[in-house]
Amino acid sequence: MSDDNWRPQIVAFVCQWCTYAGADLAGTSRIKYDPNVRIVKLPCSGRIGPLFLLKAFEQGADGVLVSGCHPGDCHYVSGNLLARRRFTVFRELLIFLGLEPERLQFSWVSAAEAVKWTEVVDAVTAQIRALGPRRQGWGAEARLQTSNSKAQSLEAQPGTRNLKPGTQKAVEEGIRRIARQLLQTGEAGVIVGYGNGTLKDVTTPLFVTEPEGVEQLVWNERCLNNLSVYLTREPVTRLGRVGIVAKGCDARALVALLQEHQIERDKVTIIGVQCAGMAENGRLAARCAVCDVHTPPLYDHLVEDRALDTGDWAEGDPRDREIAALEALTPAERWAYWQEQFARCIRCYACRAVCPLCYCETCIADKTQPQWVPPAFDARGNLSWNIVRAFHQAGRCIGCDECARVCPAHIRLDLINRKLALLIRDAYGYRAGYDATVAPPLTTFRPEDRAEFIR
Amino acid sequence: MMACRMLRPEKLEEWLAELLRSERRLIAPQRQGEDVVFQPVQTVDDITLDYINTRWPVKAWFFPPSEPVLRYRYQGSGVELEQPNMALEPRVIFGVRPCDAAGLAILDQVFNSDGEDEFYTRRRTMTTIVGLSCTHPAASCFCTSVGLSPTASAGSDLLLTPMGDAGYLVETLTARGEQLLWEYGHYFAAGECRSKEAVTEAAEARMSRQAALAQGIELSERLFEHPIWAEVARKCLGCGVCAYVCPTCHCFDIVDDSDAWGGVRCRNWDSCGFSLFTRHASGHNPRPQQDSRYRQRVLHKFSYFPQRWGRLMCVGCGRCVTNCPVNMDIYATAQAVLQVQGVKHET
Repeated sequence: MSDDNWRPQIVAFVCQWCTYAGADLAGTSRIKYDPNVRIVKLPCSGRIGPLFLLKAFEQGADGVLVSGCHPGDCHYVSGNLLARRRFTVFRELLIFLGLEPERLQFSWVSAAEAVKWTEVVDAVTAQIRALGPRRQGWGAEARLQTSNSKAQSLEAQPGTRNLKPGTQKAVEEGIRRIARQLLQTGEAGVIVGYGNGTLKDVTTPLFVTEPEGVEQLVWNERCLNNLSVYLTREPVTRLGRVGIVAKGCDARALVALLQEHQIERDKVTIIGVQCAGMAENGRLAARCAVCDVHTPPLYDHLVEDRALDTGDWAEGDPRDREIAALEALTPAERWAYWQEQFARCIRCYACRAVCPLCYCETCIADKTQPQWVPPAFDARGNLSWNIVRAFHQAGRCIGCDECARVCPAHIRLDLINRKLALLIRDAYGYRAGYDATVAPPLTTFRPEDRAEFIR
Repeated sequence: MMACRMLRPEKLEEWLAELLRSERRLIAPQRQGEDVVFQPVQTVDDITLDYINTRWPVKAWFFPPSEPVLRYRYQGSGVELEQPNMALEPRVIFGVRPCDAAGLAILDQVFNSDGEDEFYTRRRTMTTIVGLSCTHPAASCFCTSVGLSPTASAGSDLLLTPMGDAGYLVETLTARGEQLLWEYGHYFAAGECRSKEAVTEAAEARMSRQAALAQGIELSERLFEHPIWAEVARKCLGCGVCAYVCPTCHCFDIVDDSDAWGGVRCRNWDSCGFSLFTRHASGHNPRPQQDSRYRQRVLHKFSYFPQRWGRLMCVGCGRCVTNCPVNMDIYATAQAVLQVQGVKHET
């Protein structure tokens, strides 16, 4: 940073109609400005996907500038307005992971604003020059090494509340009764529910196809799996019309699957179960502490828990305190925290496999032409993979936290999911998995959407 | 080579402290959040002996999840190659459980089957494994079912077995182990060769999973095509956890991580549970669904590998059972398949 010869490398992704024309005008007008920006021209800011921005950082850019038409001026009517929401969420995600906000900037520059373009470039260049070269590259080489970052002392805070299990036996009977009826009448060819696992205190997904088999269905505070993941799995759906046991959070996933046209409402029977919360390490799971779907938002049959005690939620979500603690750190400290987390990633993709909303036939992480996600399981590849996973879930994640539960490396994916869910709730008044008839937040826009970060 | 020594409990820490000061790099179990993992030791106080087993098997220290095998840069019309840095200091890994050590013995066979794998073998020859017998197996453990035991010595260079107040019985199993013992002989009391049988029996008595799986699965067309595979694999979601926590799984993929200027060719762990594992360039996939993939996993461990190498490719550590998101249980599956095959087994 003390090197006077150092010049930042900044990649600018611009739309061809406004900003590129503005930059062109700056050139033909012979306006002098900082020469550190390399321009990549795209048809519309709506085409400037977060993957492009990631690639620029991956390959060593010290900063990235994104610029398009002013709202209302888009050549394709609303490309920039849709992009604005994506940029908002993506920017906040990267800042949460420890990127300095100055390194990823946005502007609206019209074809006539040659002067504004040069001012933006000068200002962005000055800020990035002041920051110096991006530390440690994209992802620190920290595999299997311990770092002594302050952030490392942030330990997982499990829920402190005790479980109030309710009347599990009665609920279990209720589930069996409805399951038996569905199988006997032929309304369902298979019931997807919970059975006893092979180890103590473990349940397992169970597929029951005969009425006699319903006695194997169980209900207790260890029914953690989100079974809705099986509704898009052919080995299960081939057994016939599906009847599925769904907690509130599972039903939210069903809502999201309906919303995204992955399942048909009249081809699934939902056995909703009132749920008082699930256990993790003998305590109420963190995500259950602020549950507002003890009664599922969507069901065909409801199994009530007569002793359901939803308690008071004054304590709030323990993860919100962790998120606040992380956000109080400096970007460098947050970066160190997440690098230490992601260094443990072994790319087993269990997070992807258990996610009801990760239903893509071929995941982008498995694509090689082009190779969007670096395939090496190193700091760089792991960082990009975790960003791609998180961003793809933004505005879609229903917060079941199955990904965090199954991660063998205990990476705090739940904090990332929660952070994005809070952001989207606050910015767009949207929470995933409650209403299948509204448009998901990143597929729509409002003229008054947040834009305070755009120059 | 079967000379026995004893290591007094109070001498263990002294010995580890001296190892830490030596030119060898000491790697030992340490706390990481709620887990215990193998890490290079900074101070002896960080080492813990309070673990049933480590979160990850020790295999990653020999066969890392992702390993650069060469780097390349485009230069004009040619390509400039760079070999990876293979320099490695001698290492001691302390506290390896017998199941994980046995996993190394299996990997030794694989990585030296047709030619020597220089990446793996170099790390093996530079590393001395100090095994630590297991006295309190977990509910998911089943090493005795696959022909091992909580005090088995395969794969270790030295094996310590806790013998109560008397300290640790030290078995010297290889020349590398002998070398280490010779260098630090003053910590080890020469004594009569006490039998570890009582310790073994006590540990085995604590194991709830004891089925006879060691004979492996005898493959037949009927068994291969049997509907049991679709049944047991129906809940499998196709992630790679089971393979990646397994001490013996060793499949890898060679991929180029590249950009416009060059790249790294790396060897990444791979898993037969992934659909990509067998997908052809044409798009055809000979293992189209999870049933055939999971069958491959089970049969590789219990049939194909034993046919070729004369031993199972499962050491009964139970990690795949406890880490599976949906409670796929290879112990239960092997029993069920043997039942289909018509073999009687005790539970």
